[in-house]
Amino acid sequence: MKKKNQDFWVGVDQLQDTQKFEEISANEFPSELPLANSLSKEDLLGAQASRRDFLKYLGFGLGAATLAASCDIPVKRAIPYVVKPDEIVPGIANYYASTFVRGGDYCSVLVKTREGRPIKIEGNNLCPLTQGGTSARAQASVLDLYNVNRYQGPGKMAEGQFAPISWADLDRQVKGALSSAAVIRVLTHTNLSPTFQAVLDEFTARYPGAKVLTYDPVSSSALLQASEAVHGQAVVPDFRFDQADVIVSFGADFLGTWISPVEYARQYASRRRVKDVEHPDMSYHVQVEAHMSMTGSNADKRIQVRPSAQGAAIAALYNALAGKNGAPTVSAPALKGEAAGEIQKLADRLQKSKGKALVVSGSNNLGDQLLVCAINQLLDSYGNTIGLDQISYQRQGLDREVHQLLDEMNKGAVDVLFVLGDANPAWELPYAAEFREAMKKVKFKLSTAGVPNETSSLCDYIAPDHHYLESWGDARPKAGVYSLQQPTIAPLFDTRQVGESFLRWAESPNFDPGTEEEPPYFRYVKKWWKENMFTRQNSYSDFQKFWDHSLHDGIVTVPSELAGLSANAVDVSAAAALQEKPSSAELEMVFFETVNIGGGQYATNPWLQEMPDPVARTTWNNYMAIPIFWDGGIEWKAFKGLNQQEIYGKADKVEVEIGGRKQTVSCIRQFGLAEGTLAMALGYGREQMGVCGYQEGVNVNPWIGLDKNGNVRYYATEVAVSDKVGEDDAFACVQYHHTMGVKGTDPQTGEELNVDEKTVMTLKEGYQGGLTNRSVLYYGSTKNLEELVEHIAEKRAEAQEWVEQSLYPYDKYNEKFYSQGHHWGMHIDMNACIGCGACQVACVAENNVPVVGRKEVSRHHEMTWLRIDRYFFGDYKNPHVAYQPMMCQHCDNAPCENVCPVAATNHSSEGLNQMTYNRCIGTRYCANNCPYKVRRFNWLDYSTADIFPANEPYVEHEDIPFGADNLTRMVLNPDVTVRSRGVIEKCSFCVQRLQEGKLTAKKEQRSLSDADVRTACQTACPTGAITFGDMNLKEDLAAKLDSPLNYYVLEEVGVRPSVAYSAKVVNTDEELTPAKKHESKEAHEEHGEG
Amino acid sequence: MSSHWLSRSFILLAMVLSTASLWGQGGDPAAGKTIFKNYCGACHNKDMKTDMTGPALGQAEEHWAEYPREDLYVWIRNSQALISAGHPRAVELWEKWKPVQMSPFPNLTDEDIENVLAYIHQEYTKEPVTAGGPGDGVPVEKADYGWLYWVIFVVLAVVAMVLSRLIAQFRYLNELKAGNVDAQKPAFGQMFRSKAFLTFLTFFVLAWLSFTVVNRAINLGRQQGYQPEQPIKFSHKTHAGLHKIDCKFCHDGARRSKHSVIPSANTCMNCHRAIKVGSTYGTAELTKIFASIGYDPTTDSYIENYDQLSNEEIEKIYTKWMRDQYMVAHGDFDALGETAVKRQWEDVVAALTHGEEDAKIQGPIEWVRVHNLPDHVYYNHSQHVEVGGLECQTCHGPVEEMDVLRQYAPLSMGWCVNCHRQTEVKAFKDNPYYQSYHRLHEELKAGKRSKVTVEDIGGTECQKCHY
Repeated sequence: MKKKNQDFWVGVDQLQDTQKFEEISANEFPSELPLANSLSKEDLLGAQASRRDFLKYLGFGLGAATLAASCDIPVKRAIPYVVKPDEIVPGIANYYASTFVRGGDYCSVLVKTREGRPIKIEGNNLCPLTQGGTSARAQASVLDLYNVNRYQGPGKMAEGQFAPISWADLDRQVKGALSSAAVIRVLTHTNLSPTFQAVLDEFTARYPGAKVLTYDPVSSSALLQASEAVHGQAVVPDFRFDQADVIVSFGADFLGTWISPVEYARQYASRRRVKDVEHPDMSYHVQVEAHMSMTGSNADKRIQVRPSAQGAAIAALYNALAGKNGAPTVSAPALKGEAAGEIQKLADRLQKSKGKALVVSGSNNLGDQLLVCAINQLLDSYGNTIGLDQISYQRQGLDREVHQLLDEMNKGAVDVLFVLGDANPAWELPYAAEFREAMKKVKFKLSTAGVPNETSSLCDYIAPDHHYLESWGDARPKAGVYSLQQPTIAPLFDTRQVGESFLRWAESPNFDPGTEEEPPYFRYVKKWWKENMFTRQNSYSDFQKFWDHSLHDGIVTVPSELAGLSANAVDVSAAAALQEKPSSAELEMVFFETVNIGGGQYATNPWLQEMPDPVARTTWNNYMAIPIFWDGGIEWKAFKGLNQQEIYGKADKVEVEIGGRKQTVSCIRQFGLAEGTLAMALGYGREQMGVCGYQEGVNVNPWIGLDKNGNVRYYATEVAVSDKVGEDDAFACVQYHHTMGVKGTDPQTGEELNVDEKTVMTLKEGYQGGLTNRSVLYYGSTKNLEELVEHIAEKRAEAQEWVEQSLYPYDKYNEKFYSQGHHWGMHIDMNACIGCGACQVACVAENNVPVVGRKEVSRHHEMTWLRIDRYFFGDYKNPHVAYQPMMCQHCDNAPCENVCPVAATNHSSEGLNQMTYNRCIGTRYCANNCPYKVRRFNWLDYSTADIFPANEPYVEHEDIPFGADNLTRMVLNPDVTVRSRGVIEKCSFCVQRLQEGKLTAKKEQRSLSDADVRTACQTACPTGAITFGDMNLKEDLAAKLDSPLNYYVLEEVGVRPSVAYSAKVVNTDEELTPAKKHESKEAHEEHGEG
Repeated sequence: MSSHWLSRSFILLAMVLSTASLWGQGGDPAAGKTIFKNYCGACHNKDMKTDMTGPALGQAEEHWAEYPREDLYVWIRNSQALISAGHPRAVELWEKWKPVQMSPFPNLTDEDIENVLAYIHQEYTKEPVTAGGPGDGVPVEKADYGWLYWVIFVVLAVVAMVLSRLIAQFRYLNELKAGNVDAQKPAFGQMFRSKAFLTFLTFFVLAWLSFTVVNRAINLGRQQGYQPEQPIKFSHKTHAGLHKIDCKFCHDGARRSKHSVIPSANTCMNCHRAIKVGSTYGTAELTKIFASIGYDPTTDSYIENYDQLSNEEIEKIYTKWMRDQYMVAHGDFDALGETAVKRQWEDVVAALTHGEEDAKIQGPIEWVRVHNLPDHVYYNHSQHVEVGGLECQTCHGPVEEMDVLRQYAPLSMGWCVNCHRQTEVKAFKDNPYYQSYHRLHEELKAGKRSKVTVEDIGGTECQKCHY
């Protein structure tokens, strides 16, 4: 399948019609003007302006200017504290260790606060799980604190309307209901807090009719049940991806969403870096899945199987290994197609790495999970790549518990229902409609949601919980790892921590009313720690010292509280009987959790909504991924011939019917889908949540069913898709935005085009920027790594020749400026980069990058300073993927600087490409001249920074722009200017952090070290793929810059970028590069013959 | 007589000169600088040439030369003692400067005084430094030669007028000579109607107008000299000048943060728990601080649950205090006192409340911000104060002389950039941070450059202040 003359590509249109693609990509800005509606070309050309008009406007202008000039400068106030807290110095950030917890999602964090406002989340280096890494979700969580839609106090729901009441009233009502209730049910997502667990225990002890039921928004029920059967406890074993030489994942997106992605990503990346070119020593990762997940995109090999054949694939692997190890085999349906052979090969590979192999599965089928346990037992994984002492608590939800609740509710047996926090059963369950009906039969329903959701609107009372940044608490993600949560701001609203509420309702003897500084729940947590944690350590003899130290670090590790789990034998034939059978349906649809908005609980966060999905590169919507076919000639066809206009920002809409439910969805063409498979993301189409994300996308939950064991089954088999029924004109997919450096074909001859040879003159047609056949991406396999190194060296030497022909006296600059003082640079390891997007959200948070909304994204107007370019390469049918974080390259011969008519962008002696917003007049010449397409233009006042906000309360087609209210503005970083309309902006290498780091070094009278200057993207990265530093220092960065795999993007254009990338290496026997030239020749020949 | 006088002065002069040179060698100016800053600088001008609260010290030694050296020591340690003793020079000075008394400094040793004198001598003979220089507290006014341009302009205008008149006359005579009978004697006003003049005038007016417009436009939003009235009549002159409280004692952020920080009310209370009545305004101003923070000066304690008190309750507490103090001052509380207390209280309420939205007396004092930088400018106090070692006065002017604070500098970008161009990086050699600038260090060593300015290490680049 690997043909045609493309060695890597971003999407189908580039493969199909290179000329059209180049036309589009040659324009930095789309041809459609943003204000085209109001100012069409005809109007402008035919406009009549008389001399009188001119004079009128001139007169008015002068008059207005005079008036404006005579206005007084407004009086500004400086308001000091009355009693200044010792720890706050205005202008200096304080960092507090805390814990980001949302259901089972966990990240130990440092919260950066300025003048008492939390504004940024950083990773906590002391945490053994995350080791300073973060996820996009953790990065974005600070924005939820300032969500304008939060409940501002307790309330009573009457006919769907929220009516505020007092906490005393609410408590009276609750206690009244509890005293007469026989059956009380508390429904929650995974709870990681041992202290809150203690509270719930007190509650259930006080009310014998009470029971706590747990489920997860995206279920891992089968995994827990399998654990229960094999290990005797429903817990997640300790997967150690860093210990495995061979990793096989059956649909588990362990780098993106599965159980503990930050932890796993760090482990995984530690074995994926090429430290030594001669001995790459990479782990081998095989992903067996139906649609390309983020984890699958990083795999060395993907085996595509339809979702319903997943179980058969697991069984096939089990049988193959059982045969080799003399274990009993199971009867399983045969695998169709190439997959069967691939599984056999995989079994050989696994068998060779016995004891060094790890097999995981994201399946929610108990049979699948049991067989995976059996496979791991055959491979001696337990004790090697799967630990049984440090088990994880990060998923606790069992689907059967919600079914039981539903049954009870239907019978009218439940008197009181408490729904905690994010739990949103009336929306996120597959049988949400049924649940909604059943809720009507419950006499007393209360939600502790902080933000309105579909369930809280159906409850009788709302007892809103604090945001985690306002809360005291703790978390135990893994046995022996305890993490503390402390408030970094006083509660913004009249909310109350759910732990305190339950203590009050349970009439707990341990309830201590406390004081304003020490709220009841703080006292309770402290007491719990004194009784349970203090006794388990030996380092401190004084509790207060232990407490202070723990609070400061945010993390305490103690010996695991569990004795090692047992590993019983799996009854494999019983397990196989529990598996789902492959379907023979023509079409199947797989439902997956996205990295950004999860099961829908993160849909209220605009930063996450606007973060593109790593693989599909879509925002603000869940598009139905449709497979693409290539007939081997020049024609590419998507499923049903849909989405031909994708490159112009148009997606087709189709009607999809599953299980009798019909919905209209938009499509996106996608590589790497198993034949006959469609894919859609969970979590979109929320209905009650406030403004952001409201009804963005389609709710797929009603399409989801249960498997025969009663667990949620994340695929559907009987799918009917109609022909095109309409067009989605706000197709917010960024895959064709800001493309650069991809090759093209001469439309006349069909030859590969290089503008150096065929200039604009001979072609009579311009290819702006001349960026064809350039060094954008280097990749290779472990098999021909040496060739890759040679190839890079050769290309770089060639590029160097071009670079040296520059008119600009670089050597002079280098001698005078860059060689002394600082010369900032960055290194990005594309082998460690998994595409998770944490850096992108961190950049948005750090640099006050505005959110623009779906419509604006569809018009190429996204403002992100850092984008993650996703390139496909290799086989068309089953391509490999490289992620390339792309930000301003801070070129030392920057082409953008020369064309600025007002010198708003220029170069610093430290090698920074500086952007001065106040000087910028918005010609956008710089953006047009940027070969990397990293400059962004504020077409509209996205940040509402203009002095007179009333001038523009609406961004076209959007509601009031995000961030136009003072609550949301509290998240802004005061050290970074908020840009207004009409200026260009771009990555500054976090210059505010550089300046701060330099100042710290100066004040401490010492020389700078790389640790002083860490950019936001670097600190956010869970895998440490980004290294930033001073190229003149022989430290972290210099060590990274040594690798022979390093190259600079578009080095040959002579702009001297400061960001080095190291080539993508895939651990496979395929020869991926550098035999590019031969390939393309062959392709031409074949093409000619055809 | 005259010759006698001459010879005497000659001898004196010789003595002065010789001793002066001796004194110059005797003291250590560096040590003297510290003493000067700690004891003398508040009243005596640092340039040693102009008078301030106290006289200029530049020629002090010469003036005291005819008396024994010990007299000067005594004078500096305790001037009033010498005046009472009837020392002629002392009495002369007292006549000129009374009632300003010089504070006694009995702790100064002879050596200290010699050091100070050496420092004074050094400063007096030094070349004047331009305003804005590092560590230069009080800038020297630049001589203004603007008037000279006007003189030249008028002279040239007169010459031009005379010449044009002459040309016109000669032309007329020429015409007559040539026999042109119609030729008219040129009128005086004709010259103002000539094309050349009108062209010149138009050009001049246009040029002047554009110059003015551009200048005014540039100055829009700048507030040099801004001196708003503050809610409390706080005097920097009293605190920084008279009592010589270090700026950074109250503005403690300047050492560590980007903000210098307006002191919080509890900072004020460090001293004002002891000093409850002001020297100028009595209870009127200090009560504002007490009422803001909830300190009851009568009982010398902070009021419990102050936040919950109503304005009336607060009024009772503080009017009692004012009344008591009035009694102390006047020995009696009369109708006049009643009005005074009433007025004072109204003033307190006005200073601490802001209309309906903030009718509470408790809470912070809302000062009017004097130094405003635009939002797109990043400025860091600690960089300048801690690393750069600048005196606050370099940018804020002689704050210790201001009763009401005034914006001294234009705070324009040109002003910033200019200083960055001229100012030497003082810590360049000693702070290890700067070692990475090895080429500059080599140049300094080789004598190729005499100093490294802020600009030399990138201090005028855009993203040093704008990001």
